[in-house]
Amino acid sequence: MHVAVFWGCRILTEHYAYEMSVREVMPRLGVDLVDLKSTTCCGDPIKSVSDFAVTFLSARILAEAGKTGLTDLLVPCNRCHLTLSETKYRLDRDVETLEKVEALLGEEGLKYPDELRIWHTIDLLHDAVNLKEIAEKVKIPLDGFKLATHPGCQIIRPSEIGRADESEMPKKLDELVKALGAETVDYSEKLDCCGAALLATHQETALSLAGTKIKALLGYDVEGLVVSCPECHLMYDARQEAASTAVGGKLKLPVFYYTQLLGVALGVEHKTLGLDLNQSPVRELLQKKLGK
Amino acid sequence: MKVSLKDLMTMAKPAAELRLKALCKIWEAKPINCFQCMRCTSGCTSLKLLELKPHEIVDLVKFGFIDELLASDIIWTCATCLKCKERCPQKASPYDLIMALRNVTVEQEAKVPEFYMNTVSQILETGLMQNVQKITTRTMEPLDREKLGLPKIALAGNKFKECLMKALGGA
Repeated sequence: MHVAVFWGCRILTEHYAYEMSVREVMPRLGVDLVDLKSTTCCGDPIKSVSDFAVTFLSARILAEAGKTGLTDLLVPCNRCHLTLSETKYRLDRDVETLEKVEALLGEEGLKYPDELRIWHTIDLLHDAVNLKEIAEKVKIPLDGFKLATHPGCQIIRPSEIGRADESEMPKKLDELVKALGAETVDYSEKLDCCGAALLATHQETALSLAGTKIKALLGYDVEGLVVSCPECHLMYDARQEAASTAVGGKLKLPVFYYTQLLGVALGVEHKTLGLDLNQSPVRELLQKKLGK
Repeated sequence: MKVSLKDLMTMAKPAAELRLKALCKIWEAKPINCFQCMRCTSGCTSLKLLELKPHEIVDLVKFGFIDELLASDIIWTCATCLKCKERCPQKASPYDLIMALRNVTVEQEAKVPEFYMNTVSQILETGLMQNVQKITTRTMEPLDREKLGLPKIALAGNKFKECLMKALGGA
């Protein structure tokens, strides 16, 4: 299966571990990634400024994806996935806006694609690759790992535009983790937001949202948290220390991208999965459980 | 003391034009259909921070009391978790309304958190929301895309900037 991939600014400019691990695991599962010829912002960070500019920016990405000749597009970032899905939902229905957008796209020699399916890492692995295929390829089972998942907000809501998983009872990420041999914990704070969108303007609140969730997770004796979004990863991993301080505790919880854990289970070398880049104690957990 | 909706309304005058401007910016959601069931408020991530709750924001707009919202930090406190949009039985979507109010604030050249306008400049300049960041491992080894074996980022041409400028102007 050949899939076009749009990484988005956050992954390309900062969250390298996600890109590295996706690039490592997908071809091993029969998914060949095709990078876009030119990449720009999906529009999400300027939703507050201009609705039309956002629609143009994301339509531009959809058009670049269409240019590859492929009809499947992987968008590993939750926020980019939402913005592109919102725009596709609208342009497939709102002819007037589509005409305005197409006129602008034409100036760059681009065309809004007739057919394109937008995937996130989680539903691509769960629905297109499938759990059985993943379980069969596991070389190093993650037996005895007690993990929790954080699906994030943007790939499960709003359901009317079609999301990667169910809005109130998301289960795909848990099933994917279980396919690697690990155990997952169901917990009442699962749908709580990481707070990343407030980090730039309301830092203390953002950090306390992240800290509160980490604290709750440690209360369930969870050994690690699994995420699939660069923003959530930033809050729980790189900002973990600050988030701990915000809720008045010294919290330590290893935080992985799902694709990093998948890579470990598939037997990929840890360094190429970007595991050295995680700021939380992921290496300690892997050492303790797998002896490496 | 908490300012109630009633207090604000006794002090303010409705702004019909701004109200229309905000409502026209929303494509599919219908804030006007809100019947104050408060499901949005019961799930709101930012509730603790808010002077006015999501269902109250919708109510203020319905009655045209928009100046209070445009001038305050309230509309900039949304965490965009989308629970309000998902759970609204009336498709009123406080999320879409808040984004529309932010857009109106920008158009009115009222106070907008610096971060948002800086991001616009950054995207105009490079196509991306931020410059490529250098990072370090937990053992403080500095790394970049090249050292990590990641390919060069393929940026857009000059024409992109021109088109985005037009889009920002509403094309």
